[in-house]
Amino acid sequence: MRAAFSDTLVRLAKADPNVLLLTGDHGYALFDDFRRECPKQYINAGIAEQNMVGMAAGLARAGFRPFVYGLAAFIPVRVVEQIKLDVAHDQLPVIFIGDGAGFVYSHLGTSHQSTEDIACTRAIPNLAIYSPADRFEVTACMDKAYQSKSSVYLRMGKSDRGDVHSALPELKAGSFLEVKSGKFSNIAFFATGSLVSTAIDIAVATYPDATVWSAPFIKPLDSQQVTAICKQSKGNDSLPPPLYFIKTFFSQC
Amino acid sequence: MIFQNKAFDTKVLRKTVLDMAFAGSTVHIGCAFSIIELLAVLYRNHLRYPDNDPQALDRDYFILSKGHGVMAQYACIRELGWLKDEAFTGYFADGSDLKGLSDSRVPGLEVTSGSLGHGFSVGVGMAMGVKLRGTDQKTYALVGDGEINEGPIWEGALFAAHHELKNFMVIVDENGFQAMGSTQEVLELGSIQAKFESFGFEAITIDGHNEEAIDNAIKQLWASASVSPKALIAKTVKGKGVPFMENNNMWHYTRLDSETYAQALSAVSESEQ
Repeated sequence: MRAAFSDTLVRLAKADPNVLLLTGDHGYALFDDFRRECPKQYINAGIAEQNMVGMAAGLARAGFRPFVYGLAAFIPVRVVEQIKLDVAHDQLPVIFIGDGAGFVYSHLGTSHQSTEDIACTRAIPNLAIYSPADRFEVTACMDKAYQSKSSVYLRMGKSDRGDVHSALPELKAGSFLEVKSGKFSNIAFFATGSLVSTAIDIAVATYPDATVWSAPFIKPLDSQQVTAICKQSKGNDSLPPPLYFIKTFFSQC
Repeated sequence: MIFQNKAFDTKVLRKTVLDMAFAGSTVHIGCAFSIIELLAVLYRNHLRYPDNDPQALDRDYFILSKGHGVMAQYACIRELGWLKDEAFTGYFADGSDLKGLSDSRVPGLEVTSGSLGHGFSVGVGMAMGVKLRGTDQKTYALVGDGEINEGPIWEGALFAAHHELKNFMVIVDENGFQAMGSTQEVLELGSIQAKFESFGFEAITIDGHNEEAIDNAIKQLWASASVSPKALIAKTVKGKGVPFMENNNMWHYTRLDSETYAQALSAVSESEQ
């Protein structure tokens, strides 16, 4: 996943000299290729996330396309107000990368865990939230974010649990992607980020006929598609109705 | 035309502020009055807006980081003709575009501020962008002395010096007050000039109501051969121009009534330039 991230970033930066990478002194080894290929587009802003996000807003206003990288506990959670006021208020084209979102850094303890990032960012107007599941979705989401010329928070689960796609998926803003088809459509799983592959594992082990959907977008969400999937998935005697899962999905996001 | 060739008469600017504050029954008059001379000199002599266009790509950037003083900037924008008169007479009315704190959707306002400590960093980013582009645009960020309590100011100061952003200038409105009292009472700042110098800035302290001194200091800082970012520390008086408002922090919050409005107007018109 991180290799796909690095490759895509290098490709975008080589094609567009206005692409800049800002990091808050994070990303050991991750940016070796970027620093070698695009040294003038790399800015280590130091351990100073608030200033880094404000600067990204200034750089975007001056015509640049900043990618702002940090661990999800810091980008976006530490800098929610800078994202809201300096960037999303005017829908500036700044892309925030929150690495290690969720419990990925579980063993490092509370400071590096990030279970609040989606809740914090969903409330910010004009800010889209992307949540790729594997290396293919990372690449597709990065391209989509760049093309959107708008404010995006892209959360990376980081932990590579294997591919859920076999090729680059075509993304439509807000849409879910079917990553495991079901023979019957009584049960549907929704998952996002690193847990998509886990959802497939659980489905295979417990309800092999179930459909599994990946949510590469948290915001916007195609509510009509959600409703349509729910209507098809009527549950069975041993399971609560599918609305339970939908509610669980949204509350856990 | 690059320079505005407008008078930016400080009496007129203060009168505009009073008219707006009375029309909208708004606060923050003292915060606007301390920066009138600074803005007059900047707009008159330094800020370059090619074709008088606040969106010109090669303009200089002026960021009012202390958004509480925005009425002073509105008064200058009025001189520049970037907004219709109705925007001023309808200030703070329902549907008004002009808010009590600066909003980037207003022509000429580069950032949305009022939450303090934001504009400085945005300005550092703009100055970094200018350096990467290699143009000669200048970036100014005007901050309050209370505002520099905020941590991101010092994060940005480190960055600006490290990256030798010589075309970046912070202007500190040192009026000695913040919302709840004097800066000395709330959080002692010590020497602001020494602080910025220790962060690698080239700094000058001047009387922030002496237009000639302001103008000379800005010219002197830009004329420097140093690659350091610049700091202009302006010693000012909160509420300057109306004796009963001067150094009276009540005028951070107090609204004008008919009587105080008339008294303030006559004080401004009788004051020395």
